[in-house]
Amino acid sequence: MSDSNEVSIRLSVDDSVEGVTGPPSEMTDEQRLLFNPPIDIYETADGLVLYADLPGVTSAGLDLQVQDNRLTLFGRIRQQDSDGGAVVHEEYKVGDFLRSFILSDEVDHDRISARLNNGVLRVELPRAGRTQPRRIEVTTD
Amino acid sequence: MPVFRWGHAWDAFQDLEREVDQLLQGVNLSLHGVRSARRFPLINLIEKTDHFLLTAELPGADIKDLEVTSADGRLMIKGVRRGPEEARDDTFRRQERFQGKWQRTIQLPDRVEEDGLRAEYSAGVLRITLKKAPSSIARNIPVTEGPE
Repeated sequence: MSDSNEVSIRLSVDDSVEGVTGPPSEMTDEQRLLFNPPIDIYETADGLVLYADLPGVTSAGLDLQVQDNRLTLFGRIRQQDSDGGAVVHEEYKVGDFLRSFILSDEVDHDRISARLNNGVLRVELPRAGRTQPRRIEVTTD
Repeated sequence: MPVFRWGHAWDAFQDLEREVDQLLQGVNLSLHGVRSARRFPLINLIEKTDHFLLTAELPGADIKDLEVTSADGRLMIKGVRRGPEEARDDTFRRQERFQGKWQRTIQLPDRVEEDGLRAEYSAGVLRITLKKAPSSIARNIPVTEGPE
């Protein structure tokens, strides 16, 4: 009945990963703060789109990885505005961003694309095409 | 033998409170209600030798929509943050990012030259430099001898 709108593609947000994997080892040279960035996930005709707020992160500081079924984003902050000054009023702390997602098999891992613009990351997760019947050649000796 | 001791009950209550706090700390970053209830954007103010630096986390802002004004020792920044264009409410699986109109007003520190404001936006961070007024630099006031 409601199957027509049911989309099989899934993306689970894996918040448990924080503190388990941590940032890549070369990044742990100093004490740095790590934050879970806010995200939006929505569905389009082609798949899923993920947005993440990463203020202060440039493409050089962004690391986006797909390994097995896990998509991990790690954004490193370069500029510390408080350097050489005294913080008079503080509503936020400056730190790096880490968040991880479990991709379902319906996501075409090879066609994932991403764009970072004004501190917002947009990741497109296209749905894998319908599996085509594949003919298997049978040869004889 | 007391069945119930206030001292212990109190300890237990405090422990529970601590536990709930810890639980909430772990949860609040991914909880959409908590996240969107925050002020937007968040602002820091840093004092440097000859200026103040005001920074605001404003990822995804369009410079055209950013308005920075100052008057009477107050600085106002406002703008709009639009959600993803092609997304409809019923297609969201998760929505944690702030969207909508926002406005913040900040009381400027003393001795700031309101004409000397400079704003710059990069990688989703708005930085406003507020020059300190020269009057804040120590001056020697000559004392002359007056008539008796």
